[in-house]
Amino acid sequence: MDADADTDTDELLLEPSQSSPPNSHLWVPSEQDSEDEILQDYLEDNQPTSITELDEDGESSQESVTLVSDRDWVIGHIEDLLESIVNGLLAENEQLTINLKTRSGLSRRQQDAGTIPPPRNIEISYPGNNAQDARRFTVVVRILELIHGCLIDDVVMTKRDMYYRHPDLFGKQPVVDRYVDDIACTLGVPRSLLNVTAAAKGLVAGSFVLNRGDGTSVRGLSEPEGILVPTIQASDALDMSAVHWILVIEKEATFRSVLSSPLWKVLGAQGLVLTAKGYPDIVSRRFLRHLADDFPHISMYALVDLDPDGIHIMSTYKHGSLRLAHEDVARRDTPGVNLPNLQWFGVQSHHIARAPGNEGDTTTAALAATEGVMRLTARDRKKAHHMLEWGVCGEHGSEPGWRAELQRMLMLNVKVEMQILDELPGGLVSWLSNQLEVMRCRSADDEMLF
Amino acid sequence: MSKQYLTLHTLSDAHPSDVFALAPTTKSILSASGSSTIHIHDTTQADFPLLQSLEGVHPLGIHHLATAREARRAASAGFEGRVKIWSEGEDGTWKADGEISDQLKAGDVWAIALSADGKYLACSSINGKINVWSLAEEGKPKIRDYETKGSFGMCVDLSRDGRFTASGHENGSIYVFDNDTGRLTHSLAGLVKPVRSVAFSPSTTLLAAAGDSRTIALYDVKSGEQIANLAGHGGWVLTLDWSDTGEYLLSGSHDGKAKIWRIETRQCVATHAHGDKPLWTAKWLPKSTRSEMFALGGGNNAISFYREAAG
Repeated sequence: MDADADTDTDELLLEPSQSSPPNSHLWVPSEQDSEDEILQDYLEDNQPTSITELDEDGESSQESVTLVSDRDWVIGHIEDLLESIVNGLLAENEQLTINLKTRSGLSRRQQDAGTIPPPRNIEISYPGNNAQDARRFTVVVRILELIHGCLIDDVVMTKRDMYYRHPDLFGKQPVVDRYVDDIACTLGVPRSLLNVTAAAKGLVAGSFVLNRGDGTSVRGLSEPEGILVPTIQASDALDMSAVHWILVIEKEATFRSVLSSPLWKVLGAQGLVLTAKGYPDIVSRRFLRHLADDFPHISMYALVDLDPDGIHIMSTYKHGSLRLAHEDVARRDTPGVNLPNLQWFGVQSHHIARAPGNEGDTTTAALAATEGVMRLTARDRKKAHHMLEWGVCGEHGSEPGWRAELQRMLMLNVKVEMQILDELPGGLVSWLSNQLEVMRCRSADDEMLF
Repeated sequence: MSKQYLTLHTLSDAHPSDVFALAPTTKSILSASGSSTIHIHDTTQADFPLLQSLEGVHPLGIHHLATAREARRAASAGFEGRVKIWSEGEDGTWKADGEISDQLKAGDVWAIALSADGKYLACSSINGKINVWSLAEEGKPKIRDYETKGSFGMCVDLSRDGRFTASGHENGSIYVFDNDTGRLTHSLAGLVKPVRSVAFSPSTTLLAAAGDSRTIALYDVKSGEQIANLAGHGGWVLTLDWSDTGEYLLSGSHDGKAKIWRIETRQCVATHAHGDKPLWTAKWLPKSTRSEMFALGGGNNAISFYREAAG
């Protein structure tokens, strides 16, 4: 973790008024598995969580509240928040306080029960106990103001734009990301209702056309290196008639080598490939979810490394990330972003280390001969242990196949990066097109069975 | 000259996921998998009925099991890093009998082996250390602590007489330690790729070792010299076991194939396919009145029993 880099701003990410050891609440983009964090998760799970009521109607603030949250409602709430601060100032209160709910630092422990763990409450006060508290308060108020402005003007801002408004105040991007998510969590709405989007991170390419409401259109094959994942608006129409499959690729490098391959001419005409460059952002996930909702007959596959991070990334696409669980609350007009029908395309353990020279099995033979199989690091093993402990890879979790692959990795102490597939005759892309054919036949068989 | 082995019985779906470990006793066989449960099946009856299940033993799954050849004791190691000891009562029921209580973390213990009398437990670890615990003493103290060069100890074995501990490592190293003196007896050369199984012959004269190099190396325990190389497996060799008499060696591979080797002639005398999934464990059953039998367990979640064809 970056404890040594600009500690000043890092402290903004620490929970206020916590007696926990330092660093236990450092916000980290991907879940780093420090023992501290695990311990903290455990402690949190065993504490009764008191939930402060922030909703007007007085319902206990579970995520299942069924009120209609629209733009006016959100504006009203943010104004209430800001107003209470102004009133506090006018009344010359000694301490001004904003109550926020957060999911940062929550574990995946309860994911399996199908319930979203309740958020924790944090209090942000001014002047607070020290300069950090005061600064944190200022950050939150400034973000509330920016969101309010976006909503009033009805413009969409990226988290990146927000950061660049006041880089000196925010210090670094994760500070903005975290408090924006906390504000969404507090209001119990997806972030898009705050008119804030993540900076577009994902790339997509393929034979689709997005016809915008204003008459313009976005073509999936317009750029040789793919286009930024677009945000689909209600007035847009998506033409997917040429797309037969959707492939989500963990790594940008692999995405690029697919697009630069001579075979892409054929593949790209019948499918869609997307990469969010590692752990996926909400924009990419929402785009995929849109495709899954509108085109349920198109199979969706994930190509990730055979290592604990790869499985975790696939899990984030399929089951979502708990830190942003409020994004998944299914509401009437704001569907969740999970992809329950995402299928595991590769890399799987049966793709590696088989007998060389077995008749009719040249594919695996070639793989066995390569040296692309690597040993697990201590971090990999630790991560695998934590994943086996709870959630979808737990003993009674919903993904027994993933659990088995994690255990096989631990048994053999090996992992496989998808680049190994490039060592095959014809390279990764020819393997891909063969596998897509295999998967297509398999799903055709399934259809005949049922 | 080849030998014939016939499938006697298959317990399909013996476990809900990969069967990682089998450990026989005189009348039963213990099995463990990626689930948290140890099953114990009767090996004296034709349909190998389930006798007992030890449930919720290691929540992250169980990677190794060991039984003592001449005592009613077993040990299990789970992915969470704990080692539990089990004892069989007079009525044949298995009960928990404590665990190794040194503050173990995941990876401190990997492979495990029990001495024939069940008094000693040897363990390898991720950091390459090889430890021996005395199970008969109060508090189950650690009595030996062998340092190696830090490469992952993927497998371990104790000689039947309890005198030697052998370990195989990810960097290809094989070590033999003398438990009486606490000293390194041999550092064996020959394999450069990960060593995934080591096994002493019943008389402790030979040590077999194998892994990703796909060949099985035989060493003279006394001199430390390599005396044979058994080639034939197409995949990584994951498991080795000597027959009771020391005449045959059973091996299992990542490609799902099991082979039986006649030590006298150094020939492979039989090959069996247990599906195409990894064959994690292959064990002879102690010789009873019936002909020689062995059991295979692996990635197809099944346990299969084979016996030598009569005649």
